[in-house]
Amino acid sequence: MLNINYPKIDKKSYNDIELSLEEPLIKINLRGKKKDFFTKVGKILSIILPTESNTSSSNEKFTAMWLSPDEWMIYSKDNNQNIIFDELYNEISKLNHGSITNVSDQWVCINLKGKNIYEMLSTACPFDFTKFKANKNSTTQTLVNHIDVIIHHKEENNLNLFVRRSFSEHLWLWLNDSAKFI
Amino acid sequence: MFIINCPFCGERDQSEFSSGGEAHIVRPKQPTELSDDEWAEYLFMRKNIKGIQFERWNHAHGCRKWFNMVRDTSNDKIHAIYKMGEKPPVK
Repeated sequence: MLNINYPKIDKKSYNDIELSLEEPLIKINLRGKKKDFFTKVGKILSIILPTESNTSSSNEKFTAMWLSPDEWMIYSKDNNQNIIFDELYNEISKLNHGSITNVSDQWVCINLKGKNIYEMLSTACPFDFTKFKANKNSTTQTLVNHIDVIIHHKEENNLNLFVRRSFSEHLWLWLNDSAKFI
Repeated sequence: MFIINCPFCGERDQSEFSSGGEAHIVRPKQPTELSDDEWAEYLFMRKNIKGIQFERWNHAHGCRKWFNMVRDTSNDKIHAIYKMGEKPPVK
């Protein structure tokens, strides 16, 4: 695993906006269409993958986010990450039911909390957050300041924002900068 | 700037999408039997209509799925959106 201390992200607070690094997390990308794929995922993770667009499903351990009609990303704070990944990989990828990729080091998760987070994101994001805000567990893939992100609505005014590691420091600096002007 | 209704994700801003050019271009069944001109015609020549055009689009910064669109290039009015493999709804 890569050094989770890079990029250097410390907890910061501004006017009703709190930014922090939500790591380490295991993140696994799942792709598949076959019936066996859904059965195996359900059995191993005890979770039903959401089929409705822009939604997510969770249990105590895992959150599964809809990315596209045949693609999901699950994330978890579970420490037994290699065991889960190996089990999924052996049961799905190796048997050709679908594709499992460990993307834990590809994405960095930044947590945003507070009343003004949507206002801040909207300054550089083309996505309309009206419906998103109203529904807990909604997810979206969009652009923030021209950077690809996945946003998960965890709780009211509490978001997990996933950004590619190489863009994370840049986005982190942008978030800090724009939070000061809200 | 205009809004595109992605058949998978719903309404999104155009900046999340990328255009893939003209749609419904059929690859010749026997490319080796074509002359250079015919091959170039298939490979490079595209319509550039002022008016209603059939196009392919990709939701590049969203679900990354391809779909087709019928768009009026003169005013960016979208007449129809349909998934890959489906028949165009208007002619």
